Amino acid sequence: MFKRYWKWFALVLMPVLVLAACSGKQSSTDDKGGESSEKIVLTAWAWNVNVGALNEAMKEFQKSNPNIELKVEDIGRLDVYDKLSTGLAAGGTGLPDIVLVEDDRIHGYVNAFPKGFVNLSEKGFDQYKDVFPAFKKDLTSVDGKFYAMPFDAGPTGMFYRTDLFEKAGVKAEDIETWDDFLAAAKKIKEATGAFAMPLDKFKDDPIFRMMLNQRGIYYFDKDGKIDLTNPKAVEAMDMLKKFDDAGLIKDVDGWNGIVSATVDGSVATVPFGAWYYGTIVDQAKDTNGKWGVFLLPSFEKGGNRAANLGGSSWMIPASSKHVDEAYKFLEFFSTTKDIQLMAMEKYGLFPSLASAYDSELFTSGVEFFGGQKIWELFANEMKDIPTAYYTNDYAVALDEAIKAQADVFNGKEPKKALEEAAKRLKDRTKREMNTY
Amino acid sequence: MKKHVWKKKIVPYIFIAPSVILFSIFMLYPIGYSLIMSFQTSVGGEMTFNGLENYKRLFNDAIFLKALKNTFIILVVQVPIMLFLALILAVLLHSSLLKWKAMFRVSFFLPAVTSLVAYSIIFSIMLMNDGLMNQLLEWIGIGKIPWLSHPFWAKVSLILAMTWRWVGYNMVIYLAALQNISEDLYEAASIDGASKVRQFFSITIPQLKPVILFTAILSTIGTLQLFDEPYTLTKGGPSDETLTIGMYLYQTGFRYFDFGYASTIAYVIVVLIAILSFIQFKVSGDER
Repeated sequence: MFKRYWKWFALVLMPVLVLAACSGKQSSTDDKGGESSEKIVLTAWAWNVNVGALNEAMKEFQKSNPNIELKVEDIGRLDVYDKLSTGLAAGGTGLPDIVLVEDDRIHGYVNAFPKGFVNLSEKGFDQYKDVFPAFKKDLTSVDGKFYAMPFDAGPTGMFYRTDLFEKAGVKAEDIETWDDFLAAAKKIKEATGAFAMPLDKFKDDPIFRMMLNQRGIYYFDKDGKIDLTNPKAVEAMDMLKKFDDAGLIKDVDGWNGIVSATVDGSVATVPFGAWYYGTIVDQAKDTNGKWGVFLLPSFEKGGNRAANLGGSSWMIPASSKHVDEAYKFLEFFSTTKDIQLMAMEKYGLFPSLASAYDSELFTSGVEFFGGQKIWELFANEMKDIPTAYYTNDYAVALDEAIKAQADVFNGKEPKKALEEAAKRLKDRTKREMNTY
Repeated sequence: MKKHVWKKKIVPYIFIAPSVILFSIFMLYPIGYSLIMSFQTSVGGEMTFNGLENYKRLFNDAIFLKALKNTFIILVVQVPIMLFLALILAVLLHSSLLKWKAMFRVSFFLPAVTSLVAYSIIFSIMLMNDGLMNQLLEWIGIGKIPWLSHPFWAKVSLILAMTWRWVGYNMVIYLAALQNISEDLYEAASIDGASKVRQFFSITIPQLKPVILFTAILSTIGTLQLFDEPYTLTKGGPSDETLTIGMYLYQTGFRYFDFGYASTIAYVIVVLIAILSFIQFKVSGDER
């Protein structure tokens, strides 16, 4: 009787055994004790122009570290996050040694997976504290500990078409405040038919975020309280509504919509981070010499015009088997001036490394921008950029802010829309809400 | 002799073993694990049990309830329209009067073969503010419609896109079923003087009942899991007006890193599908 059933039992047990085998730790392949003569292949996940910069930097790095190699997997930005999230949730299985993460997501990842990433301060990265601007330091560290190595930043500017401005008789130098810009934009629309700015009105809110950042506030304040009802935020949303009411915002579909609006000249200005330079130069080749940049207008005369949008940094998953090598390479990558200059010159990635700014590249004019010294403009902006407090609930807050913006463009009062968004955010995150 | 019999008994199990093993790894294990996760929450990066907390939270979650409502609106409006259209098309294409049948069948079925993402992107280009649809509407003199940005029209856009894609698919199923209805029934009805419309309602539909039930259940399941269309067309906007449960599940898991809560949502979808399928069986009076 018993004998008849044991095979049954084995069949049921088999999958369990297979599973156990799959999830077992591969303890036998541990090679921490390996000496420098051993070939070590680091893997990295990155996207877009960052891949090229990484590979080129590795070529330099290998001159003094011939035993280290790098294999970069070029996967889409969102795919990196999907794979990273699933890998971290599975306790670090299948993750690379190096991963690129945008600044606004770093806090979220570290808070959701506190043991998921290497604490870089413990490895000695604190010695570089002073070579990066303050806001970038805040973005890459959690509770005073570095978890990411600063790479490119996104000091914002208004990329504008000089020919359209000229045709309308508008001078960029005269635009100081958002009200000035509103008046100028009306003139431009009349003279050339071009909209003031492109915006995916119902799916994204980059301009709103830039406005918040330039005014030193964000979705959350320093203590992590919800700050969407801040009068300054309401004022920013009001301003966006003014532009929309005057028919000056071109509603586009996603990133591709913004790029095609840039290329076909249907918008006179594109407010974005410095990294948008690469896209303009790449995609709108016919418009060579017809571009310029000025700083974001301020809300009151003489107010702050510096803000940041985007930018990314490098993280090392704690599951990496080559933490030391990965650290060494990234340290070289993010703190070597020449490497950072190479990344900017070739790939348009604006460095966070302050020591890079006094090089010749930053003080010379850019031909595509009619000889304007745009890099100098961005570099000077860096020190004035206020910190944006993203927190680990940034993704939820972003969704709620976009909803508020959509409500405003569909006719709701800015103040009311933001109040409702703040309340929803409070319900979802259990955070406190500032009252004004 | 005894050994021989024993061998005979074990052979079938050896043959099914590979699929049983694969099924266990890729189906049973994830299904079981996500059930466990639906009772867990992440505390400092570690999954810990928190009882029914996730389920309680779900029924007080305004956004989940909104997503549920949206999904049901789409379900109630889209599925009947789509199935009715598919049925009419199938009957027309089945008719002996029609020429070029094969061509029509293929062209109606074609949308079901296209990639989900590709067609969603084409629709978003057609429906955007300066898109083909609005240019056409302006040309006729109706004026622009905010297809993707107005709470009402965004839902209409979703329903349009889904109907476009899935009508042909259901039509093919009906076509196959139509071939099994005996011609005698129609002949007898013609002799009795029943019109074509009467024949459609009194013969075709009753005869197709089991197949209609089948497609209704398939469509219900499909709608409850709806993700691609809202994701590429509207991102759930404006203001969650086109957020579906499927999209909310994705957001919760992969944007907010709340895997426990996402699993809870997944299990609620499973329960909903079970209930709806059961009701559909009951309503259609199928005793089997």
